Amino acid sequence: MSCSEEEFRRRLRCRGLLRLLIGVFFLAVGLLRTDAAEQPVSFVNDVVPLLTKAGCNVGVCHAKAGGGQKGFQLSLLGFEPQEDFESLTKESRNRRLFFGSPDQSLLLLKASGQMPHGGGVRLAATSEGYALLRQWIREGAALDSAAAPKLVSFEVQPARGSIKRGGEQQLQAIAKYSDGSVRDVTNMALYESNDKAMADVSERGLVKISEIVGNVAVMVRYQAKVSVYSASVPLGAPVENLPSSKNFVDELVFANLKALGIPPSVLCDDATFLRRVTLDIGGRMPTEEESAAFLAGKDAGKRDKVIDELLRSPDYADFFANKWTALLKNRRDDESDTVSNFAFHAWVRDSFLANKPYDQFVRELLAATGTVIGNPPVAWYKRVKEPKQQIEDVAQLFLGVRMQCAQCHHHPFERWSQDDYYSLVAFFSQVGRKPSGTRGEDLIFHKRGIAVAPNMKTGVPLKPGALGDAIPEIAADEDPRLKLADWMGSKTNPFFAKSLVNRYWKHFFVRGLIEPEDDIRDTNPPTNPALLEALEKHFVASGFDLKDLVRVITQSQAYQLSEVPNQHNIVDRQNYSRYYPRRLQAEVLLDAIDRLAGTQTDFANLPPGTRAVALPDNSYNRSSQFLRVFGRPEAESVCECERVQSSSLAQSLHLLNAAELKAKLAAATGRAERLAKEDKPVESKIRELYLAAFSREPRPQELKTALDYLNEPGTVANANYQDLIWALINTKEFLFNH
Amino acid sequence: MTDFVCYSRCRSMLLAALVCGAFASVSFAQSVGLPAPRLLTTTPMGAKIGSQVEVTISGESIEDADELMFFDRRITAARKLNAAGQAEPKKYVVSIAADCPIGIHEARVMTRLGISSSRAFCVGTLDEAVQTKPNTTLATAMELKVNSICNATMTQRAVDHYVFEAKKGQRVIVDCATRGIDSKLDATVIVADAAGRDLLVERRGGVLDFIVPADGKYVIKVHELTFKGGQAYYYRLGLWELPVGAPIVRLPSTKPVNSFSWPPQGLKEQAELAEVEPNSDRTKAQKISLPCDIAGSFFPAADVDVFEFEAKKGDVWWVEVASERFGLPTDPSILVQHVARSGDVEKLTDVAEFSDIPSPVKVSSNGYAYDGPPYNAGSADILGKLEIKEEGLHRLQITDLFGGTRNDLKNVYRLVIRKAAPDFAVVAWALHMELRNGDRNAVSKPLALRGGATMALEVLAIRRDGFDGDIDLVMEGLPEGVTASGLKIPAGQSRGLMLVTANQNAPRAVGSGTFFGRATINGEVVTRTCRLASHAWPIPDSWGEIPSPRLMADVPVSVSGLEFAPLTLTPPKEVQTVTAGEKLTIPLLHTRRSEFSGAVLQLRAMGAGFDRAPQFDVSLTADQSQAVLDTAALKTAPGDYLIAFYGGAVAKYRHQPEAIVAAEETHKKAVQELMAIEAEVKKLTEAAKAAASEAKPEADKAVEAVTAKQKAAAAAVAAAAEKIKQATAAAQPRDIVDIVVSEPIKIRVNPAEKK
Repeated sequence: MSCSEEEFRRRLRCRGLLRLLIGVFFLAVGLLRTDAAEQPVSFVNDVVPLLTKAGCNVGVCHAKAGGGQKGFQLSLLGFEPQEDFESLTKESRNRRLFFGSPDQSLLLLKASGQMPHGGGVRLAATSEGYALLRQWIREGAALDSAAAPKLVSFEVQPARGSIKRGGEQQLQAIAKYSDGSVRDVTNMALYESNDKAMADVSERGLVKISEIVGNVAVMVRYQAKVSVYSASVPLGAPVENLPSSKNFVDELVFANLKALGIPPSVLCDDATFLRRVTLDIGGRMPTEEESAAFLAGKDAGKRDKVIDELLRSPDYADFFANKWTALLKNRRDDESDTVSNFAFHAWVRDSFLANKPYDQFVRELLAATGTVIGNPPVAWYKRVKEPKQQIEDVAQLFLGVRMQCAQCHHHPFERWSQDDYYSLVAFFSQVGRKPSGTRGEDLIFHKRGIAVAPNMKTGVPLKPGALGDAIPEIAADEDPRLKLADWMGSKTNPFFAKSLVNRYWKHFFVRGLIEPEDDIRDTNPPTNPALLEALEKHFVASGFDLKDLVRVITQSQAYQLSEVPNQHNIVDRQNYSRYYPRRLQAEVLLDAIDRLAGTQTDFANLPPGTRAVALPDNSYNRSSQFLRVFGRPEAESVCECERVQSSSLAQSLHLLNAAELKAKLAAATGRAERLAKEDKPVESKIRELYLAAFSREPRPQELKTALDYLNEPGTVANANYQDLIWALINTKEFLFNH
Repeated sequence: MTDFVCYSRCRSMLLAALVCGAFASVSFAQSVGLPAPRLLTTTPMGAKIGSQVEVTISGESIEDADELMFFDRRITAARKLNAAGQAEPKKYVVSIAADCPIGIHEARVMTRLGISSSRAFCVGTLDEAVQTKPNTTLATAMELKVNSICNATMTQRAVDHYVFEAKKGQRVIVDCATRGIDSKLDATVIVADAAGRDLLVERRGGVLDFIVPADGKYVIKVHELTFKGGQAYYYRLGLWELPVGAPIVRLPSTKPVNSFSWPPQGLKEQAELAEVEPNSDRTKAQKISLPCDIAGSFFPAADVDVFEFEAKKGDVWWVEVASERFGLPTDPSILVQHVARSGDVEKLTDVAEFSDIPSPVKVSSNGYAYDGPPYNAGSADILGKLEIKEEGLHRLQITDLFGGTRNDLKNVYRLVIRKAAPDFAVVAWALHMELRNGDRNAVSKPLALRGGATMALEVLAIRRDGFDGDIDLVMEGLPEGVTASGLKIPAGQSRGLMLVTANQNAPRAVGSGTFFGRATINGEVVTRTCRLASHAWPIPDSWGEIPSPRLMADVPVSVSGLEFAPLTLTPPKEVQTVTAGEKLTIPLLHTRRSEFSGAVLQLRAMGAGFDRAPQFDVSLTADQSQAVLDTAALKTAPGDYLIAFYGGAVAKYRHQPEAIVAAEETHKKAVQELMAIEAEVKKLTEAAKAAASEAKPEADKAVEAVTAKQKAAAAAVAAAAEKIKQATAAAQPRDIVDIVVSEPIKIRVNPAEKK
């Protein structure tokens, strides 16, 4: 099994072809064990990886929680070899292995399909994998001795590279063991592309690149180790007329585009910019007055000024509160949640209005104490009650780390173990509760005591630990949540600022530098690492100033590029060479329609005129079909993916002929009615409508078409204006931020 | 008559459960407590000292209110008269003397049923304004002058707008009194620019401290947190200028219930010592010596104040902290450790940990069924015993369990460590009983007694520094025909009762009672004022209402004189004697003045020594009954006792039936008058017909005049008929659960003769 480095290299050179030949005989998996005759089969280093590659120990098969399949339980992805060994050799009255005649072992009969097997044929009887297992049984099905070599590191070769569109790259997976031996485990490793549209990867590590340009990564897993191959797929077009850089965002975006040979689109016009930035910061359309004034303005710095104005406005606070309250699960399950939900929403909204530093905002939430009315972030503890749920939400939302898997087993894609999970839980182990004067609400306080949480599997009590970082001893009377907040807010925290800037980048650029935005891990690298790092540094240096972050992003030329592609960058989906249009969010769209139609949507028990983006919780979804159809989240998850941004037939039908929309168009106090009655030139009315809908003047052809329609003899003016507004609403230009 | 002693314990429990079930079925969703007068709003809610203001009132069962009364006699009120000199309904002219104290005053009205519940009325020094028209948009914003207060009522689903003018650099304070003046409003107060764009927001009942950025107009927006509104959602919005750096004095507020136990007797107004920062860790511990009295602040966030003192083994100290009882949203916690040093190494040993002052009784869980009073006599503050187990250095650290992330200098505390000064504080509220019913009106009813009624108050004591003796309960200064009997708080316990009884013939009157607890401490008799607690609003549905309890400033007691208790249970006046270990039979005389639903009334005993007696039934149709108390089963020790029986009965309550008779009498008179006028009409009409031409105009005129009178008389008849209808409807029997309390019973348990 083991060999010297030199021997290893020699074998490696001649093994490519051999591997291919042997692979032909593998029905389900490819297995390579060149030195089988030299060493007894290792359960940990041979059998378990084989079972993993064959897919036996995945979550839907024998690693399924609660007993596996048909009573045969394996640990997920073989993270617990000892348990797997027990399972194979001792459980089920030892009938899984038949030492007298290994081929009659239940394990082999089922895996090879010689006996009925729900999972189908996983190892053909002719495969080397089958032979390996048979050999292991023949040798007595032993567990590795304590002195057996252990996997110490794992890497993929090459680690990075540049591949042409349509090109291929064979990856090689190398495992190193504690005895200094090295193995090529290419055929035993597992591969996964982080963007399947860009790169597909075979079971044997052959990467095939599509026509999409940019950066892509392939995660390679072997036992509990992971490694990443990063590929750059350049377009190679000439990049000559880059816009001048306004700040570091531009420098890094344009540098990436230059490296990839993707020429960016031109800068967008003023009307597009105003509409885009007002929607992205204020969650609303610009008013006709704002549009007219902005378009008429000659000030060279007017774009920066409008950004500042929007950041000062309560609209910014309303819009971002709407975003965050959904992520923080401000959900109404019962009428008695009303006060706490309003209070919580208001706290979030006021925090953004006051531009509370982000670390302080998170600190107030994590370490909230008292009553909901006295300290509204306490409401989070009303909805997220269990420490496990608390750390999972905190990790995903504020650190971009998904810890859920590590509750029961080692994280399959990450370095997080169950100890890491329960060490994080320990931060919340001293949250005390006592009844308040309000039914269903607890007073939250720090309960004196040494914070510990037992590892569910081992039972070992664990002190607070923060994802691999040591936390100084926490005294019994110190609230560990404050220590967690300290750690998160430290300038060197590798997750906290990164997660936020990535989330905000996605807010403005549609796509995060890391996707999904809350799945930051070594195996899921950013598309522009330098930019992510620079944003992170800037955010930390600013004192976690959210408005400043928004400012630096939206002031960049990169943000202000046109959505119209040039002849080259149509293939770009991740490098921000153009603005990626996005359908307006449900609330924003409803408000936009109301503004254009001159109406108000009535929300129960809220003041008339309350905008949809200012709604405090999800309860209004029940009464608003519009909000449901257009995907307003129910605040059940910390994932932004709960908001449905995809299009559907229901949405189209709703916009075409929903009674709600018709009522808005025909409202007695609506814009159509007013315009029909107003004594002013029709052209000016059309201009008003275009400014309201698109923040721009109508183009000559548009003006003519509208004029013709409105002046059609024998038609009713009011109905014509309703039709025109309806038509404007149903344009992509209206429905999308572009 | 039920001899409840005969039943086995299990059987009586089963029966109780069955009867409870039966009772619950009739009490479910029924009102609890006969109608009581409740003053719910005064508009405006306050006035400036030395001024006179017109006040409009509203409330429940106060339609016939005549007098508006204030606890402080420097505020007086007279009925507002119209041009014809007649009193306008619900309107008063209130005069505030120039020497009237600033702050909250209790306002009440005297009604047919007696004295009403209280409403906070504020007296201040700022000019007052009243919201007179809707100001729910920026365009209709009401102008508010700096250094004034506006009295307003919130409209549902609305935001009230005010506009004021200010200069750059000016410091302006915006404060909104709501819960502290009995309003249901949880206010959101916003300072915005002239365009209405929010600049500063306060939603937690705090004050806005606004430094004006530029000359110009600014807007104040006020709304309820969840946009509720209506009469109960009123507020006083204060706007005043303050020099930069000057401390802010908030608008006055009522006191929380648990503040009754602060301060300890004789405590100086100002603490002797102040906490000196930095004292946040052991290396910076503030040295103190015991006893001590320290004022400190839970500031900044997660503040820990550490003190060190030397103490002798065997010393006993008492530690008391006040912070939450100041009305602050804090939860103090103390840890005391012994410090043993060996070089630089410290060995710390926990000596004591102090947190809350527990409530002496179970507090309501705010569910549907009543499971305890919705008042907490306990507190998040601290009162505990510190026993020094080892000589030497001790370290005390105090923190606010709610202060981890909060930076608020206003969250102060007072820490007192003293040698034992045994004492007590008492608080009381109207007794409620365990019913499967969400109506909690009974816990906030005023001491407005019907003739023949006994009302019970639940009295709780917080005992200080190891005081463990009896606490007698006394109420004095009662109106004629009213007596009060305190069912003492026995030694070692914390709960007693006060029974206030109006005899059937007690005349209509109101008096300001004094209520106190009395005990002998260290050989000296001490008395401590008992504060009354009540809720700002009646709670007909505890499921949907968050209670809002507070302390009252006074103890008014009244007798209706016009309405009577549905049932009076009268025991013999003389002391009932029994030998320990024997049974005592107590005859009860029933005076019934109403019909009841159900046939029996389930009674239980209250009062030390007998309160564990099993429940028993008495007939609701009988004129007398007997209660049998088994001193053997109860293990009642020889001594003198005062007890009573109580239970819930569903009365067929009829509201003011005498009003029907009065209305009928009025109607009868009106009919007679109409008939007389009609006769007159007939006579004059005939006379006019017969009149000569020259006398004709005069005669027609007379006919015309009398016809007009006829019309008016007919209208009076119709109005009187309507009155009968209304009175009859109001007097229709309504099922209301009445908490029936017997008159007190004196019992002497003599020692058993030794055999």
